[in-house]
Amino acid sequence: MKRSEYDNTLARLVKWFDNRLGLSYPLLRPAPAYSINPFYWLGALTVVAFLIQGVTGVIMMLYYVPSPAAAFPSTQYIFQNVYYGRFLQTVHLYTAYAMIMLAFMHMMRGYFVSVYKKPREMMWVVGMVMGFVTLGFGFTGYLLPWTVISKSATDVGIGIIDALPAQLASFVSFLIIGAGGDATELLRFYDLHVVVLPAVLLVLLTAKMYMLETHGISNPVTRQPVRVKETKLIPIFPDVLMYLLELAAIFGSVMLLISAIFPLSLPPQYTPELAAQFVPQPDWYFLWIYQILKISVFEGPGLPVALALVTVLFIVLVLLPFIDRGESRMIVERPTFVTLGLIFVGELIVLAYWGLLTPGQVIPSVQAVAVLGGTALLIALTSFVLYRLAQKKELGNAQSGKSPLSGRLLVTFGFVGVLALGSLGIGTSLNSIVEMALNGLNFARSVSLGFSLSLIGSAVFASMYLLYWLGVEEGSLKRRIHLFELMVDRNGPK
Amino acid sequence: MDQNEQIVSLLFLLQAIATVFLWTLSSLSSVSEGKFAVFLAVDLLSFALISHIYRMQRWTRLPSRPWLLAGSIGLAILILSGLLFP
Repeated sequence: MKRSEYDNTLARLVKWFDNRLGLSYPLLRPAPAYSINPFYWLGALTVVAFLIQGVTGVIMMLYYVPSPAAAFPSTQYIFQNVYYGRFLQTVHLYTAYAMIMLAFMHMMRGYFVSVYKKPREMMWVVGMVMGFVTLGFGFTGYLLPWTVISKSATDVGIGIIDALPAQLASFVSFLIIGAGGDATELLRFYDLHVVVLPAVLLVLLTAKMYMLETHGISNPVTRQPVRVKETKLIPIFPDVLMYLLELAAIFGSVMLLISAIFPLSLPPQYTPELAAQFVPQPDWYFLWIYQILKISVFEGPGLPVALALVTVLFIVLVLLPFIDRGESRMIVERPTFVTLGLIFVGELIVLAYWGLLTPGQVIPSVQAVAVLGGTALLIALTSFVLYRLAQKKELGNAQSGKSPLSGRLLVTFGFVGVLALGSLGIGTSLNSIVEMALNGLNFARSVSLGFSLSLIGSAVFASMYLLYWLGVEEGSLKRRIHLFELMVDRNGPK
Repeated sequence: MDQNEQIVSLLFLLQAIATVFLWTLSSLSSVSEGKFAVFLAVDLLSFALISHIYRMQRWTRLPSRPWLLAGSIGLAILILSGLLFP
């Protein structure tokens, strides 16, 4: 393919628009070349999802009536009588899911590469608030179709308000359900969903964009700091804009295809009688908190404790830039925060999946401790092993060259074996604990638990031995490999 | 026309055909919803490919062959599935 000059038809077309609209003299600063990477634009894709939500939502607003008597019929009308109505609702729902998922990925990417370090602390704080607003969109929008699923699940969510401190509970009640009753509740949720939350999100987005323009896109995480002055800069128009449109087009086509393959079907209308036969379950993005609230220790009087714990978690996340004060942004140099982040993601996945599988079931506290503790332990152990390997690799590289393949393979197999042993131990221990919790203690179950715990113990001892063998004296692995190579040289074919 | 312009012309043509096809669909039929989504996706994916070629030209680089190949296969699958969509 021949390289062409910047003078073809397409380029002239873009230039025509530029000459008339002045797009190449934007206020936005150019982007560094390293940022032409989808991971740098997860936030922008979240905004794209928000815009699609806006467009599809405004079209649905033309037909939707926010009253208990008319909400479901008007939703059904959109489904059956409006041109591409079901398609609109499907796209609206799936882009809402994508928006939440993208916002989460954007946050976790920021967490792992610690973009929140000086001077971007407030960008992180604003971004976290935007994340809560995004969850608010999910919570308020879920009620609007007035189906038995949406209304029942929302009522469970609203019921949590009673566990808040009195002053806060009355304020939140006033904010989201007013004087009470279905009509007020639906109208408040509708107002919050279509007016208040979009307005708040736009204000926060403006603030974040302003800070982004002030500080620029964060540097990549490298040992040698990247100097922006030495980086190739790419103008916003047309290059970065075209790149963003490219990403947005791919994202849009994926959303369209998912909507085509899995079209939405409308659940039955809410009636108190039907709701009584139904086990309420929230949408997937709230399943993790739903599962926490089902743990037996948090039932009834324990509910405020659960809410306090979740609130503390949110506060810690918001204030993270002021907690993680270390200078380094390298993942390899931040084992504590990276491991905590991995545990956080792992626990969210486990809780959500578990919540999906056990609708309405109260979870015994012992079982919860075993599952959540086991998950944390497994992730921490894996992370620890990976960090040790990474440190060894760095050390090996620093001391002239990489370890020979045989040594590395041995170490890898050793750790994979330990991990498998540990996972087996945790899995069988959980089984035994659940069996004991459900059916009581007997000799066979005690032996089974003892055996499972001994597997975990063996895994821990084996990993400690491996680490000792690798690190007890500097270069012991290299010396052993060297001896092995000498042996091969002596005995092998000449 | 150079090779890039030929590809872009083909993609524009494909977009035009897909758009015309969109207007022929019955907008109240659930079958049409699927076809509508697929052909709109054809439009968007074609746009993404055009944008990619344009960017690479500006940066005096060759368009990524894997990306063009994946895009072309994706478009072919989309058009076929759009035509065969039940």
